[in-house]
Amino acid sequence: MQMPTARQRRLRTILFWAVPAILLLVPLGTNAYTQFIVNGMLISTLVTLGFTIVIGNLGQLAFANTAFFGIGAYGSAILAAKLGVPWLLTIPIAGVFGAAGGFLASAAALRGIRSYYLAIITLAFGELMRWTYLHARPLTGGTDGLPMPRETLFGVSLTDDTVKYFVFLVVTVLLVKATANLLASRFGRAVMAVRENEVATASLAIPTSRVILVTFIWSGFVVGCAGALFARHIGHVFPESFGMLHLIASFAMVLVGGLGSVLGAVLGAVVLTALPEYLRAFPGMEELFFGLIVAAVLVALPMGLASLLRRMSPIFVERFYREAS
Amino acid sequence: MPDTTPLLQIRDLNVGYGQKPILRGASYDVVPGECLTLLGANGSGKSTAMNAICGFVKPTSGSILFEGQETAGQPPHRIFALGIAQVSQARDLFPDLSVEDNLRLGAMRRGGREMAKTLAELYERFPRLHERRRQVTRTLSGGEQQMVAIGRALMSRPRLLLLDEPSGGLSPQFCEEIAQIVDGLKEDGVTMLMVEQNLNLAFRLADRFIVLRDGVVVDGGDVRAMAGDHDAIVRSIYL
Repeated sequence: MQMPTARQRRLRTILFWAVPAILLLVPLGTNAYTQFIVNGMLISTLVTLGFTIVIGNLGQLAFANTAFFGIGAYGSAILAAKLGVPWLLTIPIAGVFGAAGGFLASAAALRGIRSYYLAIITLAFGELMRWTYLHARPLTGGTDGLPMPRETLFGVSLTDDTVKYFVFLVVTVLLVKATANLLASRFGRAVMAVRENEVATASLAIPTSRVILVTFIWSGFVVGCAGALFARHIGHVFPESFGMLHLIASFAMVLVGGLGSVLGAVLGAVVLTALPEYLRAFPGMEELFFGLIVAAVLVALPMGLASLLRRMSPIFVERFYREAS
Repeated sequence: MPDTTPLLQIRDLNVGYGQKPILRGASYDVVPGECLTLLGANGSGKSTAMNAICGFVKPTSGSILFEGQETAGQPPHRIFALGIAQVSQARDLFPDLSVEDNLRLGAMRRGGREMAKTLAELYERFPRLHERRRQVTRTLSGGEQQMVAIGRALMSRPRLLLLDEPSGGLSPQFCEEIAQIVDGLKEDGVTMLMVEQNLNLAFRLADRFIVLRDGVVVDGGDVRAMAGDHDAIVRSIYL
């Protein structure tokens, strides 16, 4: 794979900030419905990003991201609805809750549990959290869920999807940039090394436990923040939003975008959030077409949509990212 | 006068896998600046001795003193941090990372400026790695991969370098290149403990040798004192 030159790297930085600048203009071309979908894309981007850094970059088959998502969403809803904390303030706090979930989920990996065993334990963690949302009725509202209180931001109602969009965009851009920087740092190199050969990494005096722990915590933080955005996006959190279906959808986004790629997380989330909306034109056949399109993309591009862009230009090559052999 | 205080002291080392003993009471020293080679037939315990020194295998009994500090049974990352680096038979590279990333991983615990200096020195020693620094490691030839493995170990500025079959699986041309690398390291005073099946290479590079048979040290001495007469050693290894 060709690596980007210094000029291409500069161009990439410009592109990174130009895209969100252009995205600021999106509300000019949307109606209430499409704006709602675009907002969902931003949330899915963060969920996919948090997921891909654990399973793609760190190489741990952990499926706890739906748990982090639910923890963030309920954390934000409980703080806002029960304690009257302003929603904006609940975003980083939900991130911290998600990070605590990441800390808990990493315990299995730190005890040397890997592969399918780690997958089943983290799946169980997600189901345990869903059970908690259902049964901690005084706090979570049980099956009725928890409504988000009405709020205003600088005098504008937060029920307005355009207002939400700008907040979601800022949070998403900041977290995507922070994650990209983290993965491009020395720490990112260590994450990749753990994925490739954990024993050899440990033998180089690299604290693999710390690398695993920090990656899970960061993943939890990103997805926890996404949970807070989701709570405001839907306006009401229900336990059913954080089940297996959500997990499978996020997993598909990771794979379609490109495993272990920040760019892939964005592409996968955008494409697979938009696709079902287009497929509504084929009532009764939506799921079939959705499945066929996902399968076709994975057959044609096993390394995801991001690999298509990488082939077009080295600008899209991410540091430490390597195509599988 | 050269320093003859041992850098590494192995005393009555017993190592086994399950019920099967591999090393049985081995004792030997490595003094600073020397290249000591462990000789022996397959299964005699050479690689096990290396792995025990690095902490990959826990000794059942005995002592491994590195600069007077007991390291037997410590985890590999602690032993590496003390200054013992191993280039294993399998090389244990990160195949999907670039050459430079592999090298940098050898000095992850050190600061950026010091790492950059060490890297520059390493590229001076291995110009070919500089040429291929952006190349994905799995695309290199076996000899070049061995260079990366040695380079990554050197990035940590080890006090003791363990080389497990550095010429294993390499062409005669690359064996010669590896020999020149080891010669260069000796000139720079790097202390080395080496396992090598290629006896010609082993005798060319080593200052001293030890022969292991069934996990026991059965012979040893100064390579130069043998004046090229290696027949007795070959007999003690294989007969």
